[in-house]
Amino acid sequence: MFYQTRAKNLTVLLVLGGLALYAVYGGYFAREIVVEIALLAMLAIALDLVAGYGGMISLCHGALFGIGAYLFGGLTALVGTPVWLATLAALAGTALFGWAVGAVTAGIGGIFFIMATLAFGQMAYVIVFEWRALGGDDGLAGIPRTDLAGIGLDTGDSLTFALLSLAALALSYTIAAIALRSSFGRTLTGIHANEERMRALGLNVRRHKAAAFALSAAIAGAAGLLAAQHTQYISPEYLVWTVSGEALIVVILGGIGTLAGPLVGAVVFVALEHVVARFTDYWHLVIGILLIAAVMAGGRGLYGEIERLLAPGPGTGKGGDGA
Amino acid sequence: MSGAEFWIVQALNGLQLSMLLFLLSVGLTVIFGLMHFVNLAHGALYMLGAYFGVAMVSATGQFWLALIVAPIGVMAVGMGLYQALIRHMRRQGPMNQVLVTFGLIFVLVDLVRILWGNVGLGISVPELLHGPVQLFGISYPAYRLFIILLGLAVMLALGLVLTRTAIGAMLRASVENAAMAATMGINVERLLLWVFALGCALAGLAGVIAAPVFSATPSMATDILIPTLIVVVVGGLGSLRGAVLGSLTVGFVQTFGAVLVPGLASLLIYALLAAILILRPQGLLPARQ
Repeated sequence: MFYQTRAKNLTVLLVLGGLALYAVYGGYFAREIVVEIALLAMLAIALDLVAGYGGMISLCHGALFGIGAYLFGGLTALVGTPVWLATLAALAGTALFGWAVGAVTAGIGGIFFIMATLAFGQMAYVIVFEWRALGGDDGLAGIPRTDLAGIGLDTGDSLTFALLSLAALALSYTIAAIALRSSFGRTLTGIHANEERMRALGLNVRRHKAAAFALSAAIAGAAGLLAAQHTQYISPEYLVWTVSGEALIVVILGGIGTLAGPLVGAVVFVALEHVVARFTDYWHLVIGILLIAAVMAGGRGLYGEIERLLAPGPGTGKGGDGA
Repeated sequence: MSGAEFWIVQALNGLQLSMLLFLLSVGLTVIFGLMHFVNLAHGALYMLGAYFGVAMVSATGQFWLALIVAPIGVMAVGMGLYQALIRHMRRQGPMNQVLVTFGLIFVLVDLVRILWGNVGLGISVPELLHGPVQLFGISYPAYRLFIILLGLAVMLALGLVLTRTAIGAMLRASVENAAMAATMGINVERLLLWVFALGCALAGLAGVIAAPVFSATPSMATDILIPTLIVVVVGGLGSLRGAVLGSLTVGFVQTFGAVLVPGLASLLIYALLAAILILRPQGLLPARQ
């Protein structure tokens, strides 16, 4: 079950504060990295919500991220929709797609659930890839950023955008935490722990899973539309299943079913990517070994290990507070 | 080329893709059915087979030797992975298996990139299979026909072993009910190891025979993975007949889809996968009803 513990407060504040300081005192490159981390962390939080707490290991979160980016990009760059409306439409659209995937796959368990989400994600990828009006495999350029001049912010500035991304990350974490602390979240954890019992108690499991997936999708879509604003160019590569795989790696490295872990995972993942890339082209080798090591070590992830060191005692044997 | 000839060529192409998918999926599906173990690194073993084949051919110039040695090499790698990692993952649930074998893909792909680089490497087809052959009034590359025949031969051999020998009976019993089979005196663990080894060797074999057609690239590992998993799910876990039916379905849908609805062929495949998972999650011909 999810508790917003002191360790989680501390971790989230340290990560957000550290990144904000890095963005303020670092140069342009540092700010780009901060945005990258913030958006990856949002995607990982979205995934942890369904995977860690709902037991739904999704391989379509890359597609949800991409759908958010494409809905926003397509509406603003091609249709000329105002940014605020495109934002709302992108969030609603990804939530709807997530809801549909969640509803249709609710009866499928284990590895077959992973395969089913993979199928839906890849369908979205193929459609975007083949859709000439959306630029096909050339991608789509000319996407505007949110205009916040009205409240005195210039989103074209790299520091402002980095801090806005961090604010979006903080908001995503808060929404996920509130959802998990509510009866909605407790019920979701209950489904993960024992689906039959929840059904026997009179819960409509399918509807609940679909709703959880919709919420997760909206957060993933928010990360996607911010990514579209960040680079102002999007390509179908956002939607490929390996992006979902990377998000899953971030969740595992950070600690699945901990919600704070994905933040740690995203920092480590992006930092490693840039550090390792300085020495060698073969950074996937490093991440592959780390992933295997993390799972073989008990699957608690970095945050889980920290929590175990801080509070050794009964009940911390298995990683995460998912079930 | 007339209409009929075009469709015959397409049908043969579909059959050839089906045979490659069969060689890959048969090992995966039996391991899946027998051990409930999902090996995402199976595609990486296929890639290794292709590179081992390239290395053998460039060292000795012998395609036929590579056809035998490369699968054995892949089998050795597979056994090593089994002893080092997979044995410990048996009771860890699908999630952890997916993750560890997903990590293995990264490791194996980068090792291949370190050893052989990023550029695709080809193998030249042996003299015997060089030209086209005349078949049903059309000319078709002899080598592609060889792939079809080899696939059919493996299919037949596996079918005979499974239905006509004691080993086959033990295997079927273990897939049906592993605990019961073990109490009847079948060494299920040892059987598993050999089935796993054979599955790896067949993935390696598929890699070598694919190398002259598609040339060996690091992206082979992930490109083939999804279609193979789809074959396993569509066909049904653990059954040879399921693997045959699944391979033919996916191979033909992909080939004819590419001709009839260019661009949307892979969409058809994923739609097929989703439909099977929702409507008939046990697959078309599962080993256990």
